[in-house]
Amino acid sequence: MNATGIPLKEPSVSAAAGATEQLERAYIDASTRVPVLMFYTSAMAWLILGTVLAGFVSFKLHEPDLLSNISFLTWGRVRPAHMNVMVYGWASMAGMGTAIWLMARLCRTVLRYPLLLLAGACFWNLGVLLGVCGILLGDSTGYQWLEFPGYAAIILFVAYTLVVSWAVLMFRYRRGEQIYITQWYLLGAFLWFPWLYAAGQLMLFVVPVQGVLQSAVGWWYANNLLFLWFGAIALGTAYYMIPKVIGRPVYSYHLATIGFWTYALFSSWTGMQRLVDGPFPAWMITASIAAMILAMIPVATVGLNHHMTMQGYFPLMRYSPTLRFTVFGAMSYTVFSVVGLLISLRSVAGYVNFTQTSIAYSHLGLYAFFTMVIFGAMYYIVPRLVGREWRYASLIKLHFWASAYGIGLMTLMLLAGGFLQGADMENPTLSFSETVETVLPYLRGRSLAGILLTAAHFIFAYHFGLMLLGLGRTSTVPTFLNPVEAEETSGGH
Amino acid sequence: MNEEPKEPARVGQGMDYGEQADVQQVHAAVQREKREPRVGAEPLSIWLIAIYGMAIFFGGAYLGRYSGNFSSGGLDPMGAPPPAKKAVAGPGGGEQAAELSPRDRGKKIFAANCQTCHQANGQGVPGQYPPLAGSEFTTGGSLRPAMIVLKGLQGPVKVKGQQYGTAVMQPWDKTLTDQKIADVLTYERSEWGNNASPVTAEQISALRKELANHPNSFTEPEILAAPEQDLPGGAPAGGAPAKPGEASKPGEPPKPQS
Amino acid sequence: MKGLAPLFLGIFGTFAFSWVGLTVLPNWQIGHLNPQSDEEGTDIYPQPQSGMFERGARVYAANGCIYCHSQQVRPAYAAADIERKWGDRRSAPRDYIFERPVFLGKMRMGQDLANIGARAPAEQASPAPTGAAPPGGSPSGGTSPAASPAPQGGAPAAASPAAKQSPNPSPATQGASPGLAGSPATASSSAAAAVASSPAAPQGSSSPPAGAPPPGPKKGLASPSPAAATNATPGGTTAPSSGAQTAGPPWPIQTIGEPPMYSAAWHHVHLYSPRSINLDSNMPAYRFLYKKRRISDARSVDALQLTGSDAPPEGWEVVPTYDAKCLVAYMMALNQSHPLNEAKSAGGAPPAAASPAVSPGPAAAGSPAPAR
Repeated sequence: MNATGIPLKEPSVSAAAGATEQLERAYIDASTRVPVLMFYTSAMAWLILGTVLAGFVSFKLHEPDLLSNISFLTWGRVRPAHMNVMVYGWASMAGMGTAIWLMARLCRTVLRYPLLLLAGACFWNLGVLLGVCGILLGDSTGYQWLEFPGYAAIILFVAYTLVVSWAVLMFRYRRGEQIYITQWYLLGAFLWFPWLYAAGQLMLFVVPVQGVLQSAVGWWYANNLLFLWFGAIALGTAYYMIPKVIGRPVYSYHLATIGFWTYALFSSWTGMQRLVDGPFPAWMITASIAAMILAMIPVATVGLNHHMTMQGYFPLMRYSPTLRFTVFGAMSYTVFSVVGLLISLRSVAGYVNFTQTSIAYSHLGLYAFFTMVIFGAMYYIVPRLVGREWRYASLIKLHFWASAYGIGLMTLMLLAGGFLQGADMENPTLSFSETVETVLPYLRGRSLAGILLTAAHFIFAYHFGLMLLGLGRTSTVPTFLNPVEAEETSGGH
Repeated sequence: MNEEPKEPARVGQGMDYGEQADVQQVHAAVQREKREPRVGAEPLSIWLIAIYGMAIFFGGAYLGRYSGNFSSGGLDPMGAPPPAKKAVAGPGGGEQAAELSPRDRGKKIFAANCQTCHQANGQGVPGQYPPLAGSEFTTGGSLRPAMIVLKGLQGPVKVKGQQYGTAVMQPWDKTLTDQKIADVLTYERSEWGNNASPVTAEQISALRKELANHPNSFTEPEILAAPEQDLPGGAPAGGAPAKPGEASKPGEPPKPQS
Repeated sequence: MKGLAPLFLGIFGTFAFSWVGLTVLPNWQIGHLNPQSDEEGTDIYPQPQSGMFERGARVYAANGCIYCHSQQVRPAYAAADIERKWGDRRSAPRDYIFERPVFLGKMRMGQDLANIGARAPAEQASPAPTGAAPPGGSPSGGTSPAASPAPQGGAPAAASPAAKQSPNPSPATQGASPGLAGSPATASSSAAAAVASSPAAPQGSSSPPAGAPPPGPKKGLASPSPAAATNATPGGTTAPSSGAQTAGPPWPIQTIGEPPMYSAAWHHVHLYSPRSINLDSNMPAYRFLYKKRRISDARSVDALQLTGSDAPPEGWEVVPTYDAKCLVAYMMALNQSHPLNEAKSAGGAPPAAASPAVSPGPAAAGSPAPAR
């Protein structure tokens, strides 16, 4: 029996870190403080803005006359604004902040050239701000996931160049011969994103491709962004957080390798399945669907790897917020991939194409998977940056449950509503209005879920704000989710 | 370095980097952390390999089955090869068209080609696209409008007392046949209160030959230099057969026509 | 993994593989398509659209119409799009070669718009050069139906093409006419009026909406039109729209008092106040695309015909801004009914018959004695 009083498998090596390691980490954390907090704070601000916009999007869909006369709040503008704020504002910045901290830790070197990152963050914020305003004022480009007008896109590009230069430099100065799994994913993400963004911008705006290829390029970009940028950061983070928190090594190196390469290979070929039955040569669509099938390989691999790593330690999820969020996110990766595959198969896609199921799919990926993992990472990292612990365990619990139930309800509502909508659309004896009527109650349910998510985000933002202001708990013991029980057994985190 | 041994419990509480310059007083969170993650080396399980195999099999089968022969024209995933070109479309509509009057045909051509700029009511858009309704170019002799439709028009032009010139009209000689140009002109000249003579395909055909060497679009002076008269030939034209040819050559002063 | 080089190469390689496979290869295959043309080189489809169309597309993009409306027709073996009369054949890559941005869309909270221009009442449609609307297809003859009361007295077999010149908009049964007189951007106002108001359908009705008495309880698209019979009177109308009148579900319902379904006037009213046309619609109202102003000396031709609570007070009128007009012009030009070799019409429509028809036009194609 160990100190926690929980019957756990004994780790094969001592889990506690040596003194030099601790010191090293302390230096690293201190050096990452300002840049990472800057990214996190910006990300939180965008999360709040995005959540407010999401409220508009969700409610206006079933209450179309809500504030309908204001041009910059019309649904068709608020929807892309919400999406871009979430994708480029919240998710990208929180992802970058986490990646920065992880890179610093894993390269085992203090963060050099912080100015690159600070400038990057500032420009990125500027780009997103200009982009969102542009969309709301009518400058949207009309390409999904790439709605930012050119003047904002170029700023994002500049900002990103700064960040990736930093990443490359850090990598150059890393210590240690082994490149840990997380670093593969992060290096991949850092390199894939600019290539993706550049390819998307080039092929759609600079040297535009003809006709329907624009849609193909657009969805290639969107799915690759989801997998190669967000997914890679999330998986890398999970590979760090899970073994770190429980103090056990990752189960298998071979699994990790196979998982990484098959992930890169197959996930990047998805995207076209969103265009099933569209005006495209059939092989493109089928290639993407086949890629979704083959993407089950990394899903199974990574899932098994994490599961075996966690085996015996699942009870720790009761205490550690990081573990809870991260495991939820990692499991969502599996759910997300399986759901994605099911709705892409041609026979099913005929029903669910053009329905709300694609929204469910996107949110599963971006929220249930990516955002939850990042929440977990933030719960781990922020105390190390501000030197305080999270103040209220109850707020953490509320955040977790509101988020979990919120995204769960939302997914359920949209999947069910989408299927019914699709079934009605396939029935030509029903008028089109009836398909809309069918899905409307589910959209209302989704708004309800949205309220839960809004509560979660505001709670987290408040809590984060407290930490920023130095109002966290001063304690040597982390904020466990069941503190009383845990503290009695004085566990280590 | 650090003389005193550190024990987790003794680290100052509530310490934060702002307060303590000496990072060597490592704060509690870092203290209690476990080692950085490392990787074990468990072998692959056979079940996993089985899953890989199944995924590859189904993925590959799906790819093979539904790829429509990987051809560019293969829109149908079940792979029927695209039909030979030349098949449908194209002529055959000619017979149908013959059943419609020239005006009706012209109307359809107008709707397909001209309407986005000149508008369905022939009013155009102020400042941009000149009107055709009541326009002196449309309703006068058929020579001028025929020249404009065949070769296009650019530069400032004054129609019905208003100035236009921001837009360029494309030439239609490559995309419309003589019959179609004749029909659309006939339509325009009898629509929206216009009441001018119809135009025949033969007239357009003759004009096309004469303008064959004129590469560029016309400008207003060139159009105005052409005589205000109908195209020669063709029953409805009426009037003495005049030779508009010289007038349409670029750069040459118009010869007075009989 | 020890080496940085293999890692980097792998990262680059996997990305390049998907980039080449999914964007470069398709670009090589379908990225340089030319419009289809017949042997004479005259019946070219599609053609690049200019003028208000381009600006309208920008307005469409800026206001996010793509997030609820798609613009692609799926094949009959895969979906019911064609049965819903959203098109008479599936969409093909060649349909979109001149569009930038291309609005294929990914969501249908609103109808598919690929052929919305083809479904307009004929005079106002600017369809692709072709017989378009083969029966069962998107009949431009849309409106027609309606229970037009018996044709008003003698329709002089007025060959008058398309009731165009029909002089007086017989006040028709519904209040549509006055409104229609003011329908914005309509083909020719008179035509519209004629179309609208003449239950005297057979006024040389002929090809276009056989006199489409507009306000009628039925809308041509896909609705059986008993009226078609009445329409097919003098002037030898072949109930061109008859094509469209294959018995089908009795929807959408043309509301009395509204402009002809999918006409420009209709679009304007729909944009201004969607729920006045369809109570169940959840489309947002785009009032900021319209201006309310005092009637100067006469009602403007463009003024929207609004009824009920949307109607402006006495002495005021609602007119579209230039952006609104462009948007509607854009929509009126959306038409994929021209046959394409690579995408055979699915469904019973005898497209071959109707097919080429140089002239764009209402279903008439193929059917006897159109027009006149």
